[in-house]
Order: sequence, then structure tokens, then C-alpha cells
Amino acid sequence: MPKYTASFLGRDCPGVVATIGHILEEAGCNIEEVTQTILSGEFAAIFVVAAPLADADALRARFCAGLAQAQVDLSVLVRPAIEGQWGVGLHYEPFVVTADGADRPGLIASMSRVFARHGVNIESLKAILGEGGAHHALFAFEVMVPDSVDLGRLRRELACEAQNHGLRVSVQHRDIFEAVHRVNSF
Amino acid sequence: MLSEREVISTLNMLRNEHLDVRTVTLGVSLFDCVSHDLDLFTANVRAKIRRYAAQLVTVCNEVGDKYGIPVVNKRISVSPVAVVGAPFGPAGMVTIGKSLDEAAKECGVDFLGGFSALVEKGFAKGDRALIDALPQALAETDRICSSINVASSRSGINMDAVALMGEQILKVARATADRGGIGCAKLVVFANIPQDIPFMAGAYLGVGEPDVVINVGVSGPGVVKKALERAREAGHNADGTPMTLLDMAEVIKRTAYKVTRVGEMIGSEVAGRLGIPFGVCDLSLAPTPAVGDSVGEIFQTLGLSSIGAPGSTAVLAMLNDAVKKGGAFASSSVGGLSGAFIPVSEDSSIEAAATSGLLSLEKLEALTSVCSVGLDMIAIPGDTSAATIAGMIADEMAIGMINHKTTAVRLIPAPGKRVGEEVVFGGLLGRAAVIPVPKGDSSVFIGLGGRIPAPIHSLKN
Repeated sequence: MPKYTASFLGRDCPGVVATIGHILEEAGCNIEEVTQTILSGEFAAIFVVAAPLADADALRARFCAGLAQAQVDLSVLVRPAIEGQWGVGLHYEPFVVTADGADRPGLIASMSRVFARHGVNIESLKAILGEGGAHHALFAFEVMVPDSVDLGRLRRELACEAQNHGLRVSVQHRDIFEAVHRVNSF
Repeated sequence: MLSEREVISTLNMLRNEHLDVRTVTLGVSLFDCVSHDLDLFTANVRAKIRRYAAQLVTVCNEVGDKYGIPVVNKRISVSPVAVVGAPFGPAGMVTIGKSLDEAAKECGVDFLGGFSALVEKGFAKGDRALIDALPQALAETDRICSSINVASSRSGINMDAVALMGEQILKVARATADRGGIGCAKLVVFANIPQDIPFMAGAYLGVGEPDVVINVGVSGPGVVKKALERAREAGHNADGTPMTLLDMAEVIKRTAYKVTRVGEMIGSEVAGRLGIPFGVCDLSLAPTPAVGDSVGEIFQTLGLSSIGAPGSTAVLAMLNDAVKKGGAFASSSVGGLSGAFIPVSEDSSIEAAATSGLLSLEKLEALTSVCSVGLDMIAIPGDTSAATIAGMIADEMAIGMINHKTTAVRLIPAPGKRVGEEVVFGGLLGRAAVIPVPKGDSSVFIGLGGRIPAPIHSLKN
């Protein structure tokens, strides 16, 4: 069966996952991967499904009809699943980059431009606001750094970018966060 | 994915709580370097140290950068020089010390330990030569540290060695009088010295240890203090019950776990990159003179007006035990001293308590019965007699011998200084005001010499 990536976005409430799950089941979809989060009351989920339909638009129409029938207001996007995700064949190490300081527009854009320039992939990004005082923001990027990247140069460029915005920056291998807080081997 | 709490907590430990790996110490056995020829011996030693330690500092810095946790000190410990240099006299021992000093500088390490002798039951020829060489060797080198083990629970206390060390400590102080007697800061007298200490000045590589090994010393008094402060500010547990000392001990235990995991991870990676086996993690709370990196401040966080106040011994007992419990679970191999250090000049809070008279030498001695090391980095009057110093050593050794634990003495009879005057050592060694020594005369007792026999190993009360 062909694979599709389906995303659902809308107001969070009890039963929203049950509704989506029911619609996927009715459409004969087999869920292969899923991730879901809630941010400021907004529900967002991405499913990778194998579906017995040969067309992404037809699958989306089916989902929309199911949501309308259940009276759940969610935006839906369906695309053919991508083959070959980023990083296959690459050797890379997971790092956590944090940048913190006074909150203002453009901080994420400037930091992420440095990552893009070096071919570093951001796997997770969190903005933690208010920690350390009002108008203080802490951005935590979980990134994958290919071995080919000059880590020293990446650090210097991140530090330079952070300094331009009055931010403090740290670059640490992710294992240290897990070693300190979790009971697992390293 | 990491949680917000995991990210923030780790950042705080690093930025605000002085989390670091205090020392990565490369142990190098010198037994395969021995020779009857002094030049050949020192050449062998230099070559072996260079072979294994050339990349030590670089690798430690690289691994520290990777994890964002600084490795503050990179050091080397070697086999006891009194044993591997046994054929040589005092002059030869000084030459060996200088050669080791040059090797340490060449590799970029800040200290090299192992200018040591084990004399708890008696002196061999090399032991006596090394002890005789101490004043000149410590005066003419910069990075050499020395330890002399004069007592053990199995052998008793070699009182001849105790008396001799009382004299030698004074001679070392005089030989380095132009630098405040700093030679004494690099000379420790031990009971039950462990073979794998990574911390200076007591580090040496015991005879039962591997050819080369990486041992790590973790610290983190600042992290423990902040964790306790947060707990006390909350004032209650998650379930709303009031926070008691039992809960505080749990906080210390959990924090020690975190700190030790950092040391274990970084030590393992350094060892792996150097192709050298990883030995032990020494779980010690080692303070620095920096405010916020103090063991003494933990006493205040736990409700005492200062270290030295009634209750201090109980607090230290709890702290020491909780650190061991948390750290032991976090590390595959625990060794070295593993406990809380109370070095007076190296801890701003302890130094302040000693200077103001809140913490006396007698109370410091009591504290050493429940923590690691002993009378550490204490400046005493320069005119203190050798017999008095020997008497203080004997008392401290007795605590170690009877309680089957390590104790040590690192006293600095500050040349020309009287009680209340300050002596400054600089760097991690800090500064200290000279404090009074106990009154009374020990000279006849010390003059008896011989050995205090080993204690009975049953009838424990």
C-alpha cells in the first residue's frame, strides 16, 4: 500500500485523537508512525500511514468528510510520504544548543541560519519563556551535527550570532543531559 | 527529546553552580623504568610519561568542550618514587623530582603526584632517602606533590616516621619560606592512603594498579549547596509534608548522582580516546576558594550559623554519607578518597570560620573523624615545634587507624608568621590566616619513637 504523511491541526479537546483514530481506521489506514503535541491549546499531530488509496487528495477528502461528520474542526494536510529521510548514510552526533537572553523577534531565525549554513539539522526546538525573569527567553535546539562539520567553527559562529543579539549560547553533546538526569547507560 | 527541566537544570549546574570535573589524573607505573643508573632511570621515566601523557591535556579539553563541562585540572600520578628509586640517595631523589617536574611541565599538567613513600611499618633505604630529600625537592620543583603514608589499620602507626615528618614539614616550610612555605601545601602525611587517589597532593599510583590508568575526581559542592537551597526555599516535599533532614539527605544523594555521572562519562571518554583503561571515580566534594564552590557554605544552607558551630560534625557525617550513596550508584568503580574535603585555605567559608575563631583545630580534628582526608591546608605559626606538629599528626593518624579510614595531615607552618597573620598561596590553594595550635608539650611522647601497634579488628566498640 502507498504511504502518506497526514497532519492535523486545530483546537485541542478531549476526544480529538479518538476521532482521528476512528477516521483513519474507517479509511483502512495502518498507522506506521505518529507524533503529537499541544502548544497554547492547539493540537497538532503528524501520522505516517499506509492507505489503500492511490491518491493523496482522495485520502484528504475522506479525512475531511469524517471530521465534518464528527463536528471536529481540524485542518488537514496529506502528502505522499517522503522516501529517504535526511541523514541516511551520514554519521552525525546529537548536540543541544541553547541560546538565552532578552526575548525579541528574529532570534530563532538568526540562530537557525547558522545551522543551515553548516548543514546541521534541527530535530527539536523549544522556546522556554519567562525562565530566569520576565521577557527572558531560552531556546533549546536539539540538533544533529554531521561529522564533516567543523565543530569549533560552528561554535564560534553561533557565539558570534548570539553576541550580536545579546544572547548567551552553549553547545553541549546531548549525552550529558541524559547522563545527568536519567538512569540509563551511556 | 529532552524535557525543559532537564535542559534548564543542566545549564544551571554548569553556569551558576560551578559544575566541573575537578581532575582527570593519568596514573603511570614506573616499575618498568627502574635502573641502577640515575640518568638511565630518569630518561626511562621521561620517555614513558611523554608516551602516555603527551595528549592528555588536549584530549581532556576536547572532551570537556564536547560536553560543555570543563575538566579543571589534568594531572599525573606515578608509582611511589621511594620504591622505584630505592637505589638512590637523597641527592638522587632530588634529581628524580626535578626530572618529574620537567616531565609535568612538558605535558602541560598542573601537578604530578607520587614523590611518595609508604613507611607505616618501617623505613626502607629509598623511603628514608626520599623523606630526607623533601625540603630540597619541594623547594626546587613547581609541580611535584608528595605523600608519606605513616600509618595503617593493619600495621599501626610508625611513630619514628611521625616524628621525622614533624621535622621535615618544618624544613620544607623553611626551604620555601620565600613563597609562604608553599612546599608544605604539596606534602601530605597519610594513614591508610588509597592507591588510586586522583586528587592532589595525595595522588600516587599504587603497586597493585595497572600500568597506565585514568582516574577521575568529581567535585560539585556548589551544585549540592544550590540543590539544598532550592529544597529549603520550597520548605516542603512534593506531597506537602515538611522537609526534614531525611529529605535533605535525599537531595544530596540525588545531586551527588548527577555530579558523579558527569565525571564517569567524561573520564570514560578520555580513557577511551587515549586507549587507556578507566580506573575509578573519586566522589569527593572538593571546594575551591571561589564563592559558591564551598563545602563550608553547605553547613550554613543546612541551618548552622557557620561550620564549627555545634552540630557541624553531624552535618558533615550526613553530607559525607549521602555523597557516597548517590555517587556509588552513578559510577561503575568508586575509589580514591571519596568524601567531603575540608581544606581550610581552599574554601572561603571554612577559612572565614577559622579566621574568626568559630572553627578551631580541635573541631577540625573532630570533623575529620567523619569525612575524608583530615587536617588539610591549615596555616599554623611558623615557630611551632616539630614535636607539636608530630603530635598533631599522631592524633590524626590514630583516628584513621582505629576507624579503618583514610586520614591525612597537610599543615603549613607559615615561616615568620604568627597567629592572625595571613598567608597567601594563590590559585586553588587559596589563602589562610594562621590559627593557633593546641597547647601542651608532646616532645617526650614523640621522642619515645617506635610503633603504636595495629588495633584489634574485633570488639568494635
